[in-house]
Amino acid sequence: MKSRIHSVFVLSLLLLCSIFGAAEPGGNGDSLQDLQCGGACHGDASINETSTTILSLSTDETIYVGIPTTITLTVTNFETSTSGLIGLFLLTDMTGHSDMPQDAGWEILSDANGGAMNYIEQTLGPGQNETSISWVVRASSLGSTTFYAAIHHGGGYSSPYFGSTASGHEVSVQPVPENLPRLTADFTPPTLRIIDTPTELSIQTQFTETIQFEWKSEDGLIMNSIVNSSGENSWTTTIPAALQSTTVQWRVILEGEGPAQTTPWFILAAEESSWEIEESAVYLQAFALLFVTAGIVILLQTRLTSSPSFAKYDETSVVDEALGASQNTSPDTTLAPIPEGGLPNGWSEEQWELHGHDYLAGKYGGDQA
Amino acid sequence: MNSSETFHVVATELVVGAFSVAGLSFTLLLLVHFGILKQPSWISMFDHVAHFTLTFGLAATPFAILSGLSSAPGEGLNSPILVNKIFLSMTGFGFAVGCLIVRWRLGNNVWDSKKSTSFHVASGLAACGLMLLTASAGGTFSRGESLLDMFHLPYEHVLLFPILVSLISLFLGLAILVLSWKRMNAISSIH
Repeated sequence: MKSRIHSVFVLSLLLLCSIFGAAEPGGNGDSLQDLQCGGACHGDASINETSTTILSLSTDETIYVGIPTTITLTVTNFETSTSGLIGLFLLTDMTGHSDMPQDAGWEILSDANGGAMNYIEQTLGPGQNETSISWVVRASSLGSTTFYAAIHHGGGYSSPYFGSTASGHEVSVQPVPENLPRLTADFTPPTLRIIDTPTELSIQTQFTETIQFEWKSEDGLIMNSIVNSSGENSWTTTIPAALQSTTVQWRVILEGEGPAQTTPWFILAAEESSWEIEESAVYLQAFALLFVTAGIVILLQTRLTSSPSFAKYDETSVVDEALGASQNTSPDTTLAPIPEGGLPNGWSEEQWELHGHDYLAGKYGGDQA
Repeated sequence: MNSSETFHVVATELVVGAFSVAGLSFTLLLLVHFGILKQPSWISMFDHVAHFTLTFGLAATPFAILSGLSSAPGEGLNSPILVNKIFLSMTGFGFAVGCLIVRWRLGNNVWDSKKSTSFHVASGLAACGLMLLTASAGGTFSRGESLLDMFHLPYEHVLLFPILVSLISLFLGLAILVLSWKRMNAISSIH
């Protein structure tokens, strides 16, 4: 019995391990990830094939501290699995530890999928072997930082591939010139909105006298929205509602005493309003249903199963049968023989059946048989 | 190397396949017991097949549930269909566990009377039906359609009890389980 339990346990463990140890050909989802997704995307780095993909990073020439800027990754010459899924990383180190932009003092404000992640996934069309994506980032301190990019993708033989930039792309962060019109250093653009709901944006600026708001949908047509001032260096504008899951990009052109500035394109994704439920209540109810159902089934079945004898090892009937055969008794032979003169005085037949033997034995003063 | 989605598909196929065979066997068993199908010699065969496949399906169910949760897109329970799937599968799990335990502990006595036979088969069929309904909900969740769509089942609505009610139900269920187990032991010859 023990060995069977052990076998079931080992098999169960092996089956469960396949979930956690597997590569993720279906993707792992956009997230904040280090160089190897902590082993979650393509498993251990040692099992990856080297990718022939060419990755190239580019940025604006001048980057100021606290002001959003765009980092663009161009990816060429790659193959994919049949799903066309690739995973792209923006990193500041290639050691696999503390290698995300956040670790180097950079904040990701927006990614190409409408989030704010350093690892994003894209699905490419058949035959497509070139793509370009952007992150909007913001430096929190002066100095230089070297950015790297990496890629995870599949291939024709289902092998996981890994590739990275040949060398880093160094950027130098400069102090902000005096009176430069700009977004405030703590302004965080929204990345998600709900379908069917217009989005009201509140924008905080510095050293800005007027702003112009531009947005474009996925078809690339640039539109303008009216901007209202809601106070000094505070502005509001509205982006029309999205009717389906799609992304829009927006930017502002800031004008003031200093030279006019144009922000990067921020990406805003529309999605269905999320459905929420208290998970602990769900799991509690699920287990309550399990126990109540099992209990009721056993209880009712037990009530309906009538005979309490039975049993695999109950041989009473066999023994009775055997005993009956050996004694060969019948109810009639157990009756005491009635004396020749008939039943004693005052005795009924019923009394004779019950106590006839005792009468014959002299217990009632009768004759001996 | 397989993703959790693939693993979920494999586990689900095992569960659905096993429960389907169990359901078919229970149905045929019922027909034979009630004399509609006049093949008494099949009773033993269907009895064994029904309970074996039910056990196999039951063993695969936790893997299907766990892999289903890990392969669902997004974080946590973000769809009413997922919640209904959990409720349906756990209730089916309860029916199957109850059905198997009584068959194990009471042996052939479950076939002693028509009432007992009917109830035992009904509990087995309920387990199978709920598991197939769970699979159907999975189809609605992943593909937006399923074979049972013709019944317009309310997958989008969740009947969630307050935590206190669930807690009381949980303890009540455990109490019933203990009591019925004791009662069953009094009847059973297997101690």
